[in-house]
Amino acid sequence: MSNRRSRVSEEEINRLVSKLQSLLPETRQRGAGRASAAKLLKETCNYIRSLNRDVDDLSDRLSAIMATMDSSSAEAEMVRSLLRS
Amino acid sequence: MAISNAEGDPATGNEGGGERKRKRRADPPVAKWRTEGEQKTYSSKLIEAIRRVRRSSAAAATDHSRSRAVRAAADRALAVAGRGRTRWSRAILSGRKLKLWVRARACRRKPLGSITAASSSHTTPKSKPPTLERKARVLGRLVPGCRKLPLLTLLEEASDYIAALEMQVRAMSAIAEILSAAGAATAEPM
Repeated sequence: MSNRRSRVSEEEINRLVSKLQSLLPETRQRGAGRASAAKLLKETCNYIRSLNRDVDDLSDRLSAIMATMDSSSAEAEMVRSLLRS
Repeated sequence: MAISNAEGDPATGNEGGGERKRKRRADPPVAKWRTEGEQKTYSSKLIEAIRRVRRSSAAAATDHSRSRAVRAAADRALAVAGRGRTRWSRAILSGRKLKLWVRARACRRKPLGSITAASSSHTTPKSKPPTLERKARVLGRLVPGCRKLPLLTLLEEASDYIAALEMQVRAMSAIAEILSAAGAATAEPM
């Protein structure tokens, strides 16, 4: 890839910022005109952290559900849920 | 749980005619993570993985270790869904070993501190403000396998990773809803 670290100009940064803004769904929704690159990076980091937290919580929930269900009904329900959706 | 169907069109990755300036490994289309098909495939793989965790988890397994096992299985299934087209997915599949290997390489090279000191006296001025550098580094640590990437690549990886995580959340929520509803139904006295 291009190794132009020495010449990362302001335009490069602006280009990256608008690219990221278009890629991230929630920033598109909020319609934040030209958010600064730093702010955008920070939001991205926060968003990833919160998504990871959600997945951890869901893992907790799923493993708890697994533990309380007896095996036959669990398997049956899993299969049924697949067919249903 | 209806998901708006933005069918990932394989042609939407490239803009403009037959120009193949980029290699095949171009922007992985983020839209595919939002298709219903992708989520269903993921859900069934995830359920398979959860069944395996169920069977293999010992009676003495703690809630926490089971939860970690579920998380690991969910991440692996997610990485497989990525079809190896992104760094983060390959990093997850190759496991922790990759992280340790990368770290070992970084230690053998100049540590970051001395690079900054050297470059200021060197002919390559840092035109990126340090705040941006710092935040980019934080982002690089959050996305698996993306610590030392140039910013543009990092952003592409991050956006794909985010879309994948969103799908993971949707799929796991749906499964949890179905299973807990089923659990409640079977628990009710007739």
